[in-house]
Parts: sequence; C-alpha cells; structure tokens
Amino acid sequence: MAAERSAGAGGAGLVTAGIDAGIAYTKVVILKDGAVVGRGIGPTGGVDRRERIEEAYQRALEDAGLDAGEVKGVVVTGKGKHDAGFAGKRISELLATKRAVERMSPGATCLVSAGADETIVSASAGEGGAGEYAFNQKCSAGLGLFLEYMADRLSMDIGELSSLADGVAAPEASQAAEGVAIPEAAKAGEAAVNEGCVVFAELDALSLLNHGVSPADVGRAVNRAAAARVSAVINDITYPSADRVVLVGGLAKNNAFVRALETLSGIKLTVPDDAEYAGALGAALAAADSAQ
Amino acid sequence: MVLQYAKWPEIQWMSDDAGWKEAKTITAGVDIGTTSAQAAVVADGQLAAYAGIRAGTDFRKTADEVMALALGASGITLERLSAVGATGFGKRNAAFATESLDEVSCHGKGARFIYGSEVTTVVDLGAQTVTAIKLYEWDRVWDFAMNDICATGMGRNIEMVCDLLHVPIGEIGEYSLDLGGKPDPEPVSTTCYNYAGTETMGLFRPEFRGDTLNGNEICASHLFAVAWRVLGVIGKLQSLEPGDIKVEGKLGFTGGLAHNAGVTRRIERELDTTALTSEYDPMLAGAIGAALLVLPEAAERGGVR
Repeated sequence: MAAERSAGAGGAGLVTAGIDAGIAYTKVVILKDGAVVGRGIGPTGGVDRRERIEEAYQRALEDAGLDAGEVKGVVVTGKGKHDAGFAGKRISELLATKRAVERMSPGATCLVSAGADETIVSASAGEGGAGEYAFNQKCSAGLGLFLEYMADRLSMDIGELSSLADGVAAPEASQAAEGVAIPEAAKAGEAAVNEGCVVFAELDALSLLNHGVSPADVGRAVNRAAAARVSAVINDITYPSADRVVLVGGLAKNNAFVRALETLSGIKLTVPDDAEYAGALGAALAAADSAQ
Repeated sequence: MVLQYAKWPEIQWMSDDAGWKEAKTITAGVDIGTTSAQAAVVADGQLAAYAGIRAGTDFRKTADEVMALALGASGITLERLSAVGATGFGKRNAAFATESLDEVSCHGKGARFIYGSEVTTVVDLGAQTVTAIKLYEWDRVWDFAMNDICATGMGRNIEMVCDLLHVPIGEIGEYSLDLGGKPDPEPVSTTCYNYAGTETMGLFRPEFRGDTLNGNEICASHLFAVAWRVLGVIGKLQSLEPGDIKVEGKLGFTGGLAHNAGVTRRIERELDTTALTSEYDPMLAGAIGAALLVLPEAAERGGVR
C-alpha cells in the first residue's frame, strides 16, 4: 500500500471513498488522486447496520490516515446501499464492479462477481454502460451465505472449506452406524448436493452426513454445487467472451470453489488481489469521476 | 454475517431423587434432528433425566453423545436400559436403539406427557419441518399434516434471520413482540431463508413505505410470516383456510420453536386461543415420547431387554 500511496502523492489531492454495503460484509476503499490509500471491512449484519457501515467507513479513513472532512465524494453500492445515508450517490453493483475490473485487471473481456448473495457476469468488461450481462436467475442467490453456513455446520472455518483438496476422503473416515450404507456415489467421490437451490442443497448435505459421508466430502460437494450455479450464470451470456475472465467478489477467495468453477466452465479465471474490494473500488472511482 | 446469534444453550438435567435408578423398567428415547438432538430417560414412566445438544457433523457421534449426556454420572449403562426408542431425521444413526419410531407418534405421546390429557392438537415446530397432529382422547394419532412446498421456513429460517440481524435466538421472540403498541407489520412475502437477506434489506429501505421499519418490526415481519405458514399446516388438518381455523380442545406446541414467543403468540392470536404451558421443556417431546412408546412392551418383559 505504501507504493500506491506515493504514486498519488504528486496529484491535486482529490480524496474519494467507495462503499460496498453487502448483505454480509461492508467493504470500503479510499482513493487519493486515483490511488488506493485506505481500505476497511466489517460485518454489515444487525439491526444497526447503518452504524456498522459507518464503522467500516471510519476504519478505512483511519487506514488512510484521513478525516471524513477531506473526502470530496462518497459513492455507495451493494445490496445495502440504501442504508448508507451519509453517502452521496448510489451506483448499481454491475456498474461498480465493471469500473473496478477495468482498473484491477486491464484488458479483461469478461467479469464474474460472486458474493454473499448475488452472482453477476458481464461480457463487456472494459466498455461503458451496462452492456451484455447476466444475474443469477430463479432463486439461486445466497451462495456466499450458504458456503459460510455450511462451513460452520461441517465444523470447518471458511478457510478450511476453501482449501479442501480435490479427491475423495477414505471411506473409512466416514463413520456410519451399522446398517447405514454410505451411498455408492459418495464412495466413488461423487457425493453431490442440489445445484439449483441452496435450501435443497443444505438438506442434501445433511442427508449425506446422516448416511455417514465425511464432512470433507460433503464440503467438496457444496463447493461444486456453488460452482455449478455460477457456471450456469456464465452460460446465460449470449456472446460469451472467454479470452480473459476476471473473478471478483468474496467467493474469489475460496480456492476450492475457483478450481471447481474453472473445471466446470472450462474457463481460466484471473483472480486479482483484493478481489472482495472490487465493488468498493468501483464506487470510489465513480466518486472521483463525478467530483472532478 | 456472524454465525453465533443462532446458537442456543445445550441442556442436561437429572432427577434429584436417586431412587429412579432402582426402577424395574428404565427406558430411553432419542430424537436426532437435523439441527438438534435430545435424549430422555424414563424410569417406570417417570421422567428421570434428559439432555439436549446441537447436532454435529457426525450423526452417529451426536446420538452417542446426547445419550451419554442424559445418563450423565448416574452409573446407569446402556445395557441396563430395558429399551431405547429412536426418532427424528438421524434416528438410523442411533446404533444403540432397540426400536425405530415415527416422529408423529413420538411427538403426540410426548406432548401428552408434557401437557397432560387435555391437549388434542399438537404442533411440532422443528428446524426444517412443521407437523400438526390431532390426537384421540387416548394417546393415539387421529390425523396429522406436514409442511408441503419445501422444508425451509421454520427454525432454520429464524436462525438465518438471527444471524442476519444480530439478534440472539433466545431473545428474538420477545424482541419481535416489543412494537410499542403498534400492530404487526405485513409479513415478509416468503419464509424461504435464502430470501431472508434480500427481504430484510428491502424492509430497511425508506423508499418502500415512507418510513423504515425498526429492528423489532423487521423481526415481527419475519416471525409473522413463519406463524402464518404454521397456520396453513394446522388448517390442512381441517381442510380450512387460515382465518377459519378453530382448534377444538387444547393446543400444545413442541419442538425448538415452541420456545419462540414471537411465533407461538402470533399463532395463538390468529387462532384466538391460548396454548397449554408446562414445567417440561417442549423441545424434549420427541425423546420423551420415544421413551414412553417403548415402555409398555419392556415392562411386559419384566424390564429385561
């Protein structure tokens, strides 16, 4: 971050902030002359989510060593964008993410954003406007929340779930009671849960556990189901542009999910650093545009 | 998302009167649910000990653990038990059980123990299911109805709302009733917990209704929707729409959500009735029922296995 700070040091000193108020977490980016000088993150949940969003904003200001008074513009995006009353303008998640990916990964032709609640695919990264895009269809939202809950239910932390190696846990590892048969598919490493609905997927996962399938195998099935969902959204794009596909959003940090998505979609994915801050960065860039 | 607000305390209890260990017939019941597991020990028909824990990843271990916790330091071994009935989603994993029993009979029987002979309509409010049971005057099931559509919308939905809103699960019921004299807001459009996040975000939006709902009202909106869904299931017993439903005789709630006044009071209000209360934990109904259902045959055998 020190290098980025010095990069903007010679400019006119325009400071803007972008807030991505998601369902689960609020991410904040502070820009000074177009360079990132501060970041903040915190859980958004709670009946006092307005205060939580402001806390994350304050954290980012502290990280940047700046006062709120020095910020010339604040733009907010994300599902909770209506809760950030102190921010000036709102921007849609699609446009914010597109704007960020132009910066994070120049030359990208397609972006995939997979977060706690929403999946967005845009085939026109690098172009202005909404362009060709697809959102999660039906009710297959909530992938990030689902993975977070499943990790907890499987007695793993989210890091363990995301670092599950491919392959099969030894059947001995599964301890079913006598008379409880592990399903044949699970023995062959093909334990699967519903790919269309996370509620069904959770019940499938509980059924697998009930049949003695190991938590690791269930975790793999859960990651694969999430990847299948996102892969389906990618397929919704009429003219897919798979030259250079960038993955952002919280799920980009889940390695096992990213590998499963690459396998299922046949697309090589680029994951930029700080992929979970994409929405916030896009909002901060938009704030800089309108402040100039 | 902080996954701690939905965790409820685990329980263990044993009768102070150690005389129960000398009982002729000691039976036990385990109710292994998707989310929680309960065990109850019954000595000659009297409740002697019980335990309740959250279900783990390994259902076999969960069953072993909850049974061991109920027997506690009593010195009573599994071999000493005349019979063990198992019920619930994970009953197949209770390797020590001597009988596998259906959930409806267990909850009916358990509710009669908990609420007495008065109870004629039992509503089991579980994590993934809701079951309405109508009982004969004697402890037999007359009819029952379960949730259709999909399993979501019961306890799991409320867990999700607790984690989203950072309201502890033990408090959300009373919290949702604390509306400062205002009536309930409209219920959320769906009890699908996958939608809970989006629904909740929407309720915070001032553009929707001119003013925002506060936390109490948002919880009220969610719990009202759950209560309405339960009414639909009770209505199925009578082929009636909610609003026309009348509960003849007394109503008793079982299952984890029986502890949630935000759900039960709203059901009582809509049905214009008051549910029975008891000194016993309604969450234990399945386990107590299972222990009681295996009792007569075990007693006939003279208490031996």
